Order: sequence, then structure tokens, then C-alpha cells
Amino acid sequence: MSMNRRDFLKVSAGTSGSLMLSLSLPGCSGVQTGFQPDTGEWKPDAWLELTRDDEIFFTLARVEMGQGTYTGLTTLIAEELEVAPEAITPKFAPAAPEYRNPLYKLQLTGGSTSVATSWEPLRVAGASARQMLVMAAARVWRVEAADCSVHDGHVVHPNGIDSMRFGELVELASNEVIRGDVRLKPRSEWKYIGMRGGRLDAEAKSTGTAEYGIDIELPGMLYAVVTRAPRFGGRARSFNAEEVRVMPGVVDVIEIERGVAVVADKYWRARKAQAKLSVEWDFSEALALSTTEVFETYRKAADEDPGESERSEGDFDEAVKSAPTVLEAEYAQPYLAHATLEPMNATAWYREDSLEIWAPTQAPDLGQIAAARATDLSPDDVTINTTFLGGGFGRRLTQDFIEEAAAVSYRTGKPVKVIWSREEDTRHDLYRPAMLHRMRASLSGGELTGWHHQVVGPQILDWYVRNAAPAQYPWAPKFMYDSLGSMGLMLEGVATPKDMSAIEGAVDYPYAVSNIEIRHTHTDPGVPITWWRSVGFSHNGFAVETFMDELAHEAGEDPYQFRRRLLASEPRHLEVLDRAARLADWDQPVPKGRGRGIALFRSFGTFVAQVVEAGIEDGAIRVHRVSAAVDCGQVVNPRIVEDQIEGGILFGLTAALYGEITLQDGEVQQSNFHDYRLMRHFERPDVTVDIVDSEAAPTGVGEPGVPPVIPALGNALFALTGERQRSLPLKARG
Amino acid sequence: MALSLTVNGEQRSLEVEGDTPLLWVIRDELGLKGTKFGCGAGLCGACTVHLDGQPVRSCSTPVELAAGGEVTTIEGLGDRERLHALQEAWIEHGVPQCGYCQSGQIMSAAHLLATNASPSREDIVAAMTGNLCRCGTYSRIVAAVESVANAMPSEPKEGA
Repeated sequence: MSMNRRDFLKVSAGTSGSLMLSLSLPGCSGVQTGFQPDTGEWKPDAWLELTRDDEIFFTLARVEMGQGTYTGLTTLIAEELEVAPEAITPKFAPAAPEYRNPLYKLQLTGGSTSVATSWEPLRVAGASARQMLVMAAARVWRVEAADCSVHDGHVVHPNGIDSMRFGELVELASNEVIRGDVRLKPRSEWKYIGMRGGRLDAEAKSTGTAEYGIDIELPGMLYAVVTRAPRFGGRARSFNAEEVRVMPGVVDVIEIERGVAVVADKYWRARKAQAKLSVEWDFSEALALSTTEVFETYRKAADEDPGESERSEGDFDEAVKSAPTVLEAEYAQPYLAHATLEPMNATAWYREDSLEIWAPTQAPDLGQIAAARATDLSPDDVTINTTFLGGGFGRRLTQDFIEEAAAVSYRTGKPVKVIWSREEDTRHDLYRPAMLHRMRASLSGGELTGWHHQVVGPQILDWYVRNAAPAQYPWAPKFMYDSLGSMGLMLEGVATPKDMSAIEGAVDYPYAVSNIEIRHTHTDPGVPITWWRSVGFSHNGFAVETFMDELAHEAGEDPYQFRRRLLASEPRHLEVLDRAARLADWDQPVPKGRGRGIALFRSFGTFVAQVVEAGIEDGAIRVHRVSAAVDCGQVVNPRIVEDQIEGGILFGLTAALYGEITLQDGEVQQSNFHDYRLMRHFERPDVTVDIVDSEAAPTGVGEPGVPPVIPALGNALFALTGERQRSLPLKARG
Repeated sequence: MALSLTVNGEQRSLEVEGDTPLLWVIRDELGLKGTKFGCGAGLCGACTVHLDGQPVRSCSTPVELAAGGEVTTIEGLGDRERLHALQEAWIEHGVPQCGYCQSGQIMSAAHLLATNASPSREDIVAAMTGNLCRCGTYSRIVAAVESVANAMPSEPKEGA
């Protein structure tokens, strides 16, 4: 593949987001590129920095939260630059237009998009720098650039003997201009892409030296803890500030937008003082509902409103009329917390007309907006320093933790670190929405003739647009933020992408059925929600693939073969399905006391099929074995793909076995890992991952491991017990 | 209260409230940030350190109970020249994903190997089960621990 310089410039402009407009406005200046004589650094573009001392820095614009961008994206640059990935030092990107995710026009890490969106731009960046270094060396040697080669950080003379270090060439290279094509290496010449390379962050993370948000330390830093309303939407009416202020170490007790902050010289002193804090809450606008009412609301909405048609093929009603068998089922799935192991936290330092933030965030530019809201500053005055993230899973796309830290630093004028307790993190999360699915299907002579899927529940854009719309228009004055937010909603599908969060995985139903109707009944009970690893696919996967299993059994056919027949024209689906079945010995009898279930789901462009083998032992579900096959296009690092798929499987199993956030009179009932359980070592099944060797464009792997495992487990339990469970989490019954 | 601790071989004198969890003393008074806060209730193991050779959850160990004791954290696990064999194995096996729980995982594994040089798979799982990993790195953890256990010279068996 080749790409000329003009295309490259277009790619760069593309990554800088929506806005040609914003680029020409003050305050949106991008990253300085070129050669800096005083420091001896050459920045050929927004990502790379090469020094006279042969150091190579790579600005990583997609945060590292475990999914492997630190290694994977560095590998793309390294491959084209002809250096080992270990020779490159990744740095976390500041908030800047150049680093926006081209799919979202915001600097987001999410949606399993990092490799897919970086695949070309980063390789082109590496190749361009390499070519400029070669051109510079050729000019020095008075030889043809095409006759030079590059090896391990050196440009090699056509004589094969002489060479020059990159460091010797950076200044000269900065003057070179590429005309015509930038040649990307063909697959046959790859040294790092597709290989089982080590993780570049493994050493720092095995020695305790990796710096997470919670580890930030500033001179004179204070610690703050925030007491938030126990019911969403509650506000502090009054509190005993004087009593708390005299506690040892307490500096201040202040009301902020999101609650009451106790600020102290030490974390533990802030916590002890917080225990003495007594807040009288105004619940007049607060949520009062319980989870049972959420599902009653959904059922009522589903009865009254068939919802927006999102896909319609053939005539489902006709299919039902002529079919001897019509199956109906309703699936209910609960709210889920993210439970990142590093609790929410952020550190802020307000100084007169600037604010600096250190935070584990998935969206630095949204962090700027959140911080600006909490202070008298504009987003351009806010610098965001991103750290390693102790888990993200979508939680850190919402910037409430930055907003709190900014507010407390603004009010105290001191550097402040806000740390949430585990209980606060669980109770003040934004959740994977509870969802209801109503399914209907018609069977005629064992053939599936009609498929009707009604998705009932909220969509996430409604909760997110508040900060996202202003971040896309950073020149907008703050008073416009709210109207931009509502405008963003109004223009959904026109100026902003259509919100697929409720229906993704439902509308792309892959099976060959003549009559298909997919609808979304949009209803929002007001419980805060956000993205959660695999988002809409997480609940649509359970509904679609459980119902497919029900239909297979109704049709009296093997669930694997039933799916197989309906995927005849979907070769990539079929391939992973066949591989997973083979890996799981589907044609062999299941060991005694176990059931086997299969499921297949495509999400974020990646195809994953899984077979689960499970039993019920000592009154608990025991998952023994999971066999997974994945097609994610071209693989950058197979080891990381395996890790992500296995991690997704354990994440999905945790949800299937234990995951449930409940509300009682508006209060979240769970608090810590005793009542919001995560899968532990002893519960781990044996997981095998088979990766399809593919040259297709790479797609994501952070999330696609999650969706199929939940229905695959449910289907295995049905095979074992004969009882179908249609709500999550699954119970050890039968 | 005034108290002293030996942390990673170094004697440290502190003036701190006695009920402060050892975790926050290690992190904020001594500046050793490798030990992590996860739950504050001894449920996740991210804060695991060794106190007098025993693994403890530092988030729920008041520092006064550790007074005069010997504490080892992830920073003190290897010696000055070399990483601990488990840390080497963690890197070799590419165990960490987000990495936040891994200091605690390694400290639990280190105690296991210090007391049982050739643990079975069941021993490893039992010893590690108090350490949560949200990313799902358990299988790599087991493989890494087994690689070190198999490489360690085992005690000569009786009659051998």
C-alpha cells in the first residue's frame, strides 16, 4: 500500500477533527512540529519526536487502560521506522485537536477503535519519518535515496558498510520534503506487526513504578473526599461545616456542585472528618425509584409504544400469520457497575488563570470542558496530564471526577487530589443501563421465517452530550454549553453520529431470515448511565443469542447447526463459529454433569464465537471451559489479542454470574466487592483462544470478547438443566 | 503517635495517627506508590504487603498494629541489582493489563513461594484467590507463578 504526502496531510487534518473552522481560530493551536535547535529535537509530526541523542518518543493519543495501546500503537510506528518497539518511549498525549479520535471527533479512547483508526496514520507517520531520514543521509553521501536501507535506528549506505545514526540525521531530515508516495512496508517485510512481542508497560507494572492517577503527588497537595447525595439528583441543603472543620488536619469543608467536599492535609484525616459530616439533603428533584419499577416502566413503555423501526425487511406480521409456530420471550438485564480496580480520582491545581489536571481519563478534551465548568476558566486554560489508567471499561469517559477536583482546587487555591472510596465508586457510578428485550419469531417446518426484536431502554448519548458538544466546539462561550448540548441531541444523526448504544448488535442481526423487524422503544428512567465494556452489544448479545438457542431447541435442531445453516452467506461469521465448535469438541459428548452452550456475536467489527462448558456444583454455577475463536482482521500482537479476548470473557462471566446493581427508593444497594462481586482466581475457567489469520483491516479486541460469553453460559445451563433463564444474573437452579 | 517501622530494610520513624491504615502511611508518608488502594476493606488484595513475613491487607491494617514491624512492599521485593524472579516472570509472561492489581498479586505470590517452593496448581489458586483482577489476567498469573516454581531448586527429598 502507498499513500502520498497530500493524502497524509489529509489524514492529519482528518484526525484533527470536525473542524477546519476551529483550526483557524485562536486557542486551538495544534502541536508544534519541526526541528528545535536548542533541544536538538525533531518532531516530524504530532506523534513522533527524535532527538540528536537517538531517543525516540511517541505521543500516544489513545490511553493505556490495560487494552494494550501502549504496546500495540508503538509497534505500528516502530515497524515503519525500522526500530524495535522497545527503542521507543511512549508519552501520554495532552489534549489537542491532532489527537482526536477521527470516528468521534473527540479525543476518546473507547469503542475498541484504537488500532483500527491508527493503523494507517501511524504507519504513515513512521514511514514518512524514515523516508526523510533516508533522504537526508542520501544527500550527505550523494547517493540515491532508493539505494539506502534502514536498519535498527541507522540509515545504511548503499555500500552496506557505512551508516549514520538517526540522531545524526534529525536536523538534516527536518528540511527534507517528501514528494510523491510514502511507501509502507509490505506484509512480508514486517518484523514486529503480527509477532508475539512483549508488553512495553509490563516492567513498570510489575515493579510498582507505573504511575496511575491516584499516585500523583504535588508540593503542598491537599486531599479531598466528597460526600454525594445518596439519591441521584439530590442536593445539599445544609451541613455541619463548623463541627467538621475543627477535626484534625481539616482545611475546609465546602459545597460543590456534586456534593460536600472535606479537604484535609492527609487522605485518612479527610476520611475521618467525613465520617463526622452530616448533610441534610434536598431530595425534591431526586430519583426515588426502585429497580422493580424500572422494569415495570419498561414493560409499560413497550406495551404502549412499539418504538422506532430501526430495520425492517420483508413482512414480519405476514410471516407470523402463516407460521405454525410463533415463539415469544422477554429478557431482562440489570444495571451494571464498571468496578475499575483503581477507584475514580483526579488531581487539580488551580493557579490564577490556569488549571492543571492529572487524571486517569479516557477523554482528556471532555476533561477540559468538565474542569472549565467548575471554574472561571475556559477549556483552553486547562491542561490535562493523562496517566496510566487502573481500568477504564467506559467509566472514565465521563469526567465527573475531574470536575470535582477542579472545583475543590478552584475554591481552595491549592493543589488537591480527590479520591473516591470503593463504596462511592460503586454507588456513584454511571451504569450499563438496565434493558428489556421483547423477542418474537416464527418457525415454519423447522425454518426460521420471521424475527422481531424490540429493544426497550435508554440511550447513552442523552447523558454524554452535555460535555461532548462543547468539546467539539471549543471556541463556544461557556453560556452556550447547555444549548450546544441540546442542539447536539436534536441534530443526532445529522451533525453527530446516530446513537447506536441501545440497538447495536440488534440491528446488525446476521442470520438469513426473510422477515426482520428491529425496533427501539426509547425510555429513560433517569438513572445515570454510560458506556460499559461492549456497550449495547453486551445486552443485545444476550437477547439475540439466547433467543436463537430457544429457537434451535424449538425447531429440534442442534444449536450450532441451526446457526450454521443461517450463516451460509456470512463467511467470517461461519469461520469463527466452526472454529469455536471444533476447539470445544462440539461433536463429542459433554462430560457428565456439564452442559455446553454456543454463541456468536460480531461487535466493533470483530467476529467472536464461544462455546462454554459449565456445571452446577455445591449450589453454584461453575464455568469449566470456554473455547473462543476470533477474527479481528490483521493482528498487531497475538498475545494481546488473546489477553483481551480472555479478559473480555472473564468480564462477561462476572456480569453473567454476579453483576447486578439494584436501587431501592433511589439508592444504590451495592457498595463494595462483597456485594458487587468480581470473578476470582478459583472461579476461572480454562480459556482457549483461536485467532483467524487475516489480512483484512484490523478491528478492535478490547470489547468483543464480552458479548457472546453471557448467552453461551446461559445456553450451557439450559442444556444442563432444561430450564431457560431469561434474566441476568444467572442463578444456580435446576 | 510516634512509631517506627522497618520498610524494605530501612528503619523509618513516623509521627502519624495510630489508626491510619498502613496503606496510606506507605503511600503518602513514605512515598512508596507501588502499593495500591482498591477497596479499603481487605476484599481485593491490591494493597497486599508483607508484615513480618506475612501477607497483610495494608488498607485495613492500622499502622499502630505494624509498629516496630518489618514491612516489605513491591519496591523492596527484589534486591538492588535484580528484580525478584516473580517480577521477571510477570514481564516474560506479559501478565499485566491495566496493571493496577499486580503489585498485590506479586506480593501474594512471593509469600506463597517463600513458604512452598513447589506449589501445585491448587496451592497457587488457593493462595491467589484473595487478589482480584478486573482485567482477567488470572491464567497468565498462574503460568508466571508456575514458571518460577518449576525453575526454583527444590529441597532435596528424604531418601533422594
